[in-house]
Amino acid sequence: MPLKVGDFVLPGELIEDIKSIKGLTIVGPGLRQNEEKPNILCVTQPGTLRFKAPNMYWIEGKRKRYIPKKGDLVVGIVVKKSGDTLKVDIGAAEFASLSMLAFEGATKKQKPDVQVGDCVYAKLLNAHREMEPELVCIDSYYKAGKLGILPNQGFLLTISLNLTQSLLDIENPLLRSIGKKIPYEMALGVNGKVWINCKKSKEVIYLMKIFDVAERELHKDAVTVCND
Amino acid sequence: MSNIRKTIVSNCEKSFLLKNLAEYNRLDGRAFDEFRKVEIEFGCDWGCCFVSLGKTKVVAQVSCEIQQPKSSRPGEGILNLNIELNPIAAPHFEADRQSNEQVQLNRLLEKCLKDSKAVDLESLCIKNNEKVWAIRVDINVLNHEGNILDCASIAALAALAHFRRPDVTCDGEEFVIHSIKQRDPIPMVIHHYPVCITYSVFSSGLYILADPTLLEENVADAFLSIGLNAYKELCGLHLGGKADLSPDVIIQTANKAAARASSIVQQIKDAIEQDNETRKEQKDGFCRLAEKKDSADLVEELSVYLDQWSTKKKKNKKKSKQPKEEQMEQDEIKEPDITAEIKPLGEGTAVLVPSENEGGDAIKVWDTSESEDDAVEFVELPKPKVETVDIADTDSEEEAVIVLNADQKTKKKKKRLT
Repeated sequence: MPLKVGDFVLPGELIEDIKSIKGLTIVGPGLRQNEEKPNILCVTQPGTLRFKAPNMYWIEGKRKRYIPKKGDLVVGIVVKKSGDTLKVDIGAAEFASLSMLAFEGATKKQKPDVQVGDCVYAKLLNAHREMEPELVCIDSYYKAGKLGILPNQGFLLTISLNLTQSLLDIENPLLRSIGKKIPYEMALGVNGKVWINCKKSKEVIYLMKIFDVAERELHKDAVTVCND
Repeated sequence: MSNIRKTIVSNCEKSFLLKNLAEYNRLDGRAFDEFRKVEIEFGCDWGCCFVSLGKTKVVAQVSCEIQQPKSSRPGEGILNLNIELNPIAAPHFEADRQSNEQVQLNRLLEKCLKDSKAVDLESLCIKNNEKVWAIRVDINVLNHEGNILDCASIAALAALAHFRRPDVTCDGEEFVIHSIKQRDPIPMVIHHYPVCITYSVFSSGLYILADPTLLEENVADAFLSIGLNAYKELCGLHLGGKADLSPDVIIQTANKAAARASSIVQQIKDAIEQDNETRKEQKDGFCRLAEKKDSADLVEELSVYLDQWSTKKKKNKKKSKQPKEEQMEQDEIKEPDITAEIKPLGEGTAVLVPSENEGGDAIKVWDTSESEDDAVEFVELPKPKVETVDIADTDSEEEAVIVLNADQKTKKKKKRLT
């Protein structure tokens, strides 16, 4: 039976008759080209098959493990301090490295005050398959912007990668409707780690519950809960 | 190869948890001595048991074989407990390697179930000094959200109580093992039902939390695990970590644990009884597990949240409609495939008109993107849906919007066909 777009697929299934422009097809995460038969795509992750006209295919699954990508904004936890570099856990297979000099205004003599266990909001400078990912907390103008060490108040919670992507969607009403209810601060990392802070700790717990509801693809419900 | 190390707990999580404890709040809204919900299910085979404690999930399977007894105890059967921590439960667990955590959990379970002589081992003897039954309990952790020990002990006990071994007869020289079809299998003899109950200790005994979650477990100074049976008999006591607890506190917690133990044991017995009944109806296995779940408890949970919000209500009731619209539109954008078409029809309100247009656009794009060879197949697909709209239209004529929609649909259909 040929697979259709929007179907739930499992690893090992094959997608035949793929569409291409001048023999070119863009293959996203969760799919791999079959070596023997180059016109067939092999599924490597469970999830729903998505297609974007004219020639893009990818799999949308419920992933929890983050794969680093260049330019991503992530939230990480400082795990180790060694000399001038910090090791940061960003939820990937390997710890990322963050130089102490990659903060705004940091010099050899004046380094930022970072403790093990602190949360940082940082940008991925490079991410290769064979190399340790590298983070920075400044942009190309040596300014911090929103990046840097996150304050020790608030809470760090882990959500699925899908939810972070949908929260980043500008059309998504969830964050705005929460904001109407409770003023809050938030650092959303695409690695599924989210730092939130409110005035009262009870409000933080409410936010955690809302994300928990939203996690189960009950986005609409979550929005209505906020609006009621 | 780099193995995945345990993620450390960030300072903000730690301080937030401790701050909340000082206000007598737990992050998941439970009281300090409240436990998560326990669910017990049995599989097809005898002695296969699935237990979930909140989000922590464990499967236990009992198996048996005939062995020579230990020379020190020639008249007793053998009971082995084996807990497995796979990467499926948490990424930092390693397969095929005994970690310290695994050894500790195994020993605590043995202390609770084996050393308390809960299972009658003498009844497992077939011939003295020659042949005895060796019972093995394999416990697999499927998901780790804190407090594996409680969950595993419930699973192991329920599986043992559920398990039946094949009957063995002896005619002078030869032993015959009868298959389950030939003779009814024999249940295990269990003297008493001990379970482990774990508490987390914070700030040297100031806060004691029952049934800790993963975060609480990681932040806590120590854990106190109490093995108890339904008759308030202590079957094991273990304090891991560092905390100087006064004897009074320990006795107090043990008393609380006793109440919990008897309710858990009752739940295990009820579950087994219920399983026996469903087994008579030939409806066994985890099918019941698959049937229920989802909708009911989610709605329930949502309403709980709604209650919490209701105190702050009233404010922006008027605004509530706008985000909903946005939500609709977003739905459309998210799934620009054929299924998006059906959604607005089901809802059938004025809100649908803009979103409907969008859906149409998406479909147009879809059509142009279609390559020649299998276009026929895809054009055919939306057809029946459009027809159902027509039927609905004739059924309920009072809603003008639906008629309008249907008209648009037919136009589109014509467009598509041309």
